[in-house]
Amino acid sequence: MIGDALRLSLLVTVTATVVAGLFGLLLGRLLARQQFAGKTLLETAVLLPLVLPPSVIGYYLLIGMGNRSVLSWAGVDVLFTWPAAAIASAVVGLPLMVQASKAAIAGVNPTLENAARVMGAGEIEVFFRITLPLARRGILAGVLLAGARAFGEFGATLMVAGSIPGRTQTVPLAIYDAVQAGRTADANALVLLTTVLAFTSLLVVRLLEKQPERRDARSPRGETGGPA
Amino acid sequence: MTRAYAPSDAGGPHPHLSLDIEKRVHAFSLHVRLEAGPGVLVLFGASGAGKTTVLNTIAGLARPDRGEILVNGRVFFRRGRPPSPVDLPARLRRVGYVMQDYALFPHMTAAENIAFALRNTADRETKARALLDRVSMAHLADRRPHQLSGGQQQRVAIARALAGDTHVLLLDEPFAAVDAPVRERLQRDLRALQRELDLIVLLVTHRLEDAFAVGDRIAVLHAGRIQQEGPIEDVFRRPASRGVAEIMGIGNLVHARVADVGPVTTLDWDGLRLEAPADPSLTPGASITAHIRPDDVKIVYPDRPAGPQVSHNVLDAVIVGVRQSANARILRVRLPNGHDIEVRFPLLSYAPLSLEAGEPVRIALRREGIIALGSSADLRHGN
Repeated sequence: MIGDALRLSLLVTVTATVVAGLFGLLLGRLLARQQFAGKTLLETAVLLPLVLPPSVIGYYLLIGMGNRSVLSWAGVDVLFTWPAAAIASAVVGLPLMVQASKAAIAGVNPTLENAARVMGAGEIEVFFRITLPLARRGILAGVLLAGARAFGEFGATLMVAGSIPGRTQTVPLAIYDAVQAGRTADANALVLLTTVLAFTSLLVVRLLEKQPERRDARSPRGETGGPA
Repeated sequence: MTRAYAPSDAGGPHPHLSLDIEKRVHAFSLHVRLEAGPGVLVLFGASGAGKTTVLNTIAGLARPDRGEILVNGRVFFRRGRPPSPVDLPARLRRVGYVMQDYALFPHMTAAENIAFALRNTADRETKARALLDRVSMAHLADRRPHQLSGGQQQRVAIARALAGDTHVLLLDEPFAAVDAPVRERLQRDLRALQRELDLIVLLVTHRLEDAFAVGDRIAVLHAGRIQQEGPIEDVFRRPASRGVAEIMGIGNLVHARVADVGPVTTLDWDGLRLEAPADPSLTPGASITAHIRPDDVKIVYPDRPAGPQVSHNVLDAVIVGVRQSANARILRVRLPNGHDIEVRFPLLSYAPLSLEAGEPVRIALRREGIIALGSSADLRHGN
């Protein structure tokens, strides 16, 4: 019971974090470095899951995955499977990833990127060899936050994946189920575990933020990270 | 360093850069025309004059509104003129660019910084070490930038800029972050490097000392325009306008009336008679602006006979201020007509004399050091 929920939560959280991490990184770079029409609107839309009720997010996702959606047309039926739970978790984790990576990338001195361009580097190489290594702390913090948020997703998951033990019942849903059924020991164990995980993630995020990126070549700070 | 490839040598035997660009940045308009061959051309001007923007347009980091940039006959940029528009991305221009504060990658060692610029060349590691060796930095190859001093960082930045086998080396205020003794060595080394590799060096600075130390030619940039361009000594000795004289920090400006012309010109500067070299373009009664070169104001030893250096324009003045630069001492003296001028001499000159603020001093203005400036527009007003 507990083992099933944990295994499922791990699967859902990792998948959701990878998805939110990649999209969040791309969006973060776009928002930090590019100027374009509708930028503020896009940023607002990306942040929306932070404030929308989970049921509203779940409703949108239902429409997006339901039997009249593009996914359904393509023959992909994810409703009430773990991928649906992963998608819901990714959507609520995305704003945190976007915010963190945007701030981290904006903190990288653009002169360093320009220096790399002058030396013959293309945009992809500039991003992976200059921007990303220099923004890695903030980006890692974003991944952790998005992961922690994804792990805790409840409402939207319930709407699109249900709470099928062993198939879609993640840890937060299992806690609800255990409380409803009066299985106090199970609830206590899962609550404690969730709290420890959340606390640890936030602690690491705080530590990452305490030592900001080395912004320029003349920063007097001591050696911190390993070779990039 | 061996030149692995030289794609742009076809344009001629000598490296050549020509630039003619216009660019508007907010309310500021830049219109710069420059030609440069091997040697050090100093782009001189106050901050905000557009110097860095000029370098950025050459490197491909800023786009002019129109104009043309050619390096060894290769078109880097062309817009608004035939035949076709060109805007080569920075990575294909591959000029050497030492940016302000050097822009070394903080997450890479000195050797890795240079290896990055070497791209996918074979034996990158070996070549990176060789480049570091050429700037006497081989022993610090594995240090990160923040473990290096300002001068060491500058050497790494120059080695990195040379990694692309470039003909053009751009430097933006390269001596701003280093102390005076280190600066002199770096300046010597840069000169040697330029000669050895036959480079076109474009160096941006707002410090006259740097310009003199490394420059062959100087282009004075003000309000988005090149006000004067030429061999550095010429520009300093003969500023084309009062504006150039002011930008160059040549403080000793004199607003005088031409009292007499002939074998020597006599100027009347608020009651003070000054002898200046003959100048056929001057007419008696005209009001002119002249410049007294601070190096041509000599101090007269009270106990020595007057030599040829101190035979004209001998005046009794009072020292009102003393300051010192890296290699010169500058006195501010008040003349009998109430105006102040600056006197500049090497640190060790006049050692026997006590030259302190408040003390009287007898000075002599060499005739050759009084230069009537052209009647170009006064840059403080308009332009």
